[in-house]
Amino acid sequence: MRYQVVIAGFGGQGSVFLVKILALCAGNKDVACLGTENHGMSQRGGAVSCTIKLGNYTNPVIDANQADLLIGLEKNEALRNVQFLKPTGTLAVNAESDFPSSDINATVFQVDAFDKAKKKELPIQGLNVYMLGVVVSKCEDFPFTEEDVKQALRDFNPKVAEQNIEVLEKAIADTKA
Amino acid sequence: MKQTLMGNDAIAWGIIHSDIDMVSGYPGTPSSEILGNVNKLKHQMNLDLYAEWGTNEKVGFEVAYAGAVAGRRAAATMKQVGLNVASDALMSAAYIGNLGAFVLIVADDPGFHSSQTEQDSRVFAKFAKIPVLDPATPQDAYDFVKIAADISETFQTPTMLRPVMRVCHARQIVDIDEETNFKPGKGEFKREIGRWAAVPRAGRIIQGYEQIERINALKEYNWENLIKPEFDKCKGGKLLILTSGTGDGFARETLEDIGIEADVVKFKMPYPLPENQIREQFKNYEKVLVVEEPMPCIEEQILTEKVHGKLDGTMHVIDEMQKVYIQNALIKIGVYTGADLYPVVPFKEEIAARPPNLCPGCPHRDIYYAITKVFRKKKSIYPSDIGCYTLAINQGAIDTVLCMGASVSMASGFSIADPDKYVVATIGDSTFFHGGIPPLVNAVYQKHKFMLVVLDNSVVAMTGRQLPPQRENKEIDIMKIAEGCGADVYEHIYSNDIQHSLDFFKDMKKVYDEADGPIVVVVREFCVLDKEVVDDHIPLEFAEVVPEDCTACDQCTTIYKCPPMAYNADGKVEIDPFLCIGCGACLSVVCPTDAFVQDTSRGIIREENK
Repeated sequence: MRYQVVIAGFGGQGSVFLVKILALCAGNKDVACLGTENHGMSQRGGAVSCTIKLGNYTNPVIDANQADLLIGLEKNEALRNVQFLKPTGTLAVNAESDFPSSDINATVFQVDAFDKAKKKELPIQGLNVYMLGVVVSKCEDFPFTEEDVKQALRDFNPKVAEQNIEVLEKAIADTKA
Repeated sequence: MKQTLMGNDAIAWGIIHSDIDMVSGYPGTPSSEILGNVNKLKHQMNLDLYAEWGTNEKVGFEVAYAGAVAGRRAAATMKQVGLNVASDALMSAAYIGNLGAFVLIVADDPGFHSSQTEQDSRVFAKFAKIPVLDPATPQDAYDFVKIAADISETFQTPTMLRPVMRVCHARQIVDIDEETNFKPGKGEFKREIGRWAAVPRAGRIIQGYEQIERINALKEYNWENLIKPEFDKCKGGKLLILTSGTGDGFARETLEDIGIEADVVKFKMPYPLPENQIREQFKNYEKVLVVEEPMPCIEEQILTEKVHGKLDGTMHVIDEMQKVYIQNALIKIGVYTGADLYPVVPFKEEIAARPPNLCPGCPHRDIYYAITKVFRKKKSIYPSDIGCYTLAINQGAIDTVLCMGASVSMASGFSIADPDKYVVATIGDSTFFHGGIPPLVNAVYQKHKFMLVVLDNSVVAMTGRQLPPQRENKEIDIMKIAEGCGADVYEHIYSNDIQHSLDFFKDMKKVYDEADGPIVVVVREFCVLDKEVVDDHIPLEFAEVVPEDCTACDQCTTIYKCPPMAYNADGKVEIDPFLCIGCGACLSVVCPTDAFVQDTSRGIIREENK
């Protein structure tokens, strides 16, 4: 298997957490993986992009036009990183309905998770896991199942696993509805 | 045993599985997690080892190196610019050598992700004439610590491990030893004045010759053990690619992407290279391309007419490696003629930049705000230093940044060069200990008139919140140190009431006017990411903006610059509820029309969640 993922957001949103979860998914299925994190200088609110390459890769960086999946935790960070997506790739983005999906040369799944958090349908800290749920639910070539992700969430931190799993399940239910 | 590890975790495991039992250094991205992780493993497994931060890289190096002189296995950790600070010690240690093992771990940062300079520590190793190992992945990083420790002990030389950011902060499933049979050594210093005391000239010239012999022996070792087995696997043909470190991974993937067969040889130890044996291999190939980052370290050692790389402009010469650079190099030397596989098509419209900024609620922001309000920008110079607070450059509150500790000495220089201006220098607590004290002594010594503001949040915030000296031992007091240096010292206890800071600096301006030497202000702060203390300082007073009162005057977005503040579609400032942490500082002073008010509903929600 070969699958390249870019996760883009800003500091404090938990991009790195998603990379850790995907790495755990890979480890559990004995799939090789190589990932990296690119934090800007700022601690909170600065651009953060992370990559994870699943399969037999030898360097962790993703060049332009190579990624199969881009998870955009915020609109502008998604747009800033669309160049990494290949035309047959998928973008899952947290953005308002005016997101310019038609201008992007890839399959786009857009949800307004910020709005759901504002309405207290999910905790603010759960936005990242929510977006992972969107991916699990909508992205057909995503290499991990709902159960794979749940297992990784449990492995990462059993104490908060149930809360995260709730958010994941909500995302899957919302997007299937 | 397979584990998903970040490169720096892998290095920590490598240290422990090499029986290295003394580790010291100074934090710096991307190296910082190494020592932290060694300490974590030490406590988890109850290991008998020493792993503590030094006050700077030179100190860290020397503490660990003394361990190796006394026969123990030791390591020092730092980033590439930290090696500049430790370089004085390194150059002498490279002559003198060690009895146990001394692994110098220096993390490079090609691409300037979090550094002032790019640098290539492999070149520094070459300059110092010590061997250097260059891991390509977290797995390599783990394996190479062991090789480095063995080389260091066998050849009695400091040996460098040089991971780059894409190794330190890469994540991979790493195969490490099943069991940890940690065997700490016992040091025993053996007096040998001629060897350990680096005085000129007789002893040193002998050690200089020994060093050259050592490097020649290491070339042979490198060829027999590390390089020859790689060439033995090669087939010969049109193209040979020589690499080390991350260059290897980039090269192999590029060849696969574009569908070209070529031999790729990875040098685990890119210095010292057995140049003659390597050049002998070139006859089997039409062309040789060197893929390495960031500087032409391998290329300079093995250069012939067949060799292409940075020196002839085939490869990029600055910034981080990308596969597109290798593809384009293969086009330039006529090996690849196909399509561009990595076209960059950015989003059609320009996307608002997200400049580096201080965290929401960070006390530094208020202090810089007060300094620039009181000491008007036109009438003052603001030298600053290396740390989180450097991000206040975004507020226009910092004029110069050079290297650790330079804010103080540059303040001295500016006070002489441009005496009509107020010189207000800023430095963090850890940086003050690192490199700020000698220049303060100098400033008092020479009666240089400026104000030094020590932003004491009692944590090394930017590199991951390591504990600085005064946090570990309360006896160390920045105020007493500055007083001991002979400076006039004042204390300011930060509060989220900005007026309080404005009033303080107004008073300090009067003190400055009367002074005839340096004034030191120690501002007692906290870090919003410091979980141990933050709850005592953040009152959970969330802000919101009354749109009718916002006149779009830009004060908050250009001078105060807290990340949650931005204009919305209606041209009014809005607070991003996902970023605001409820420090309440902006509720007074910042907005000239008092449009910022407390959002009481949010405060209550936050409390319920606690």
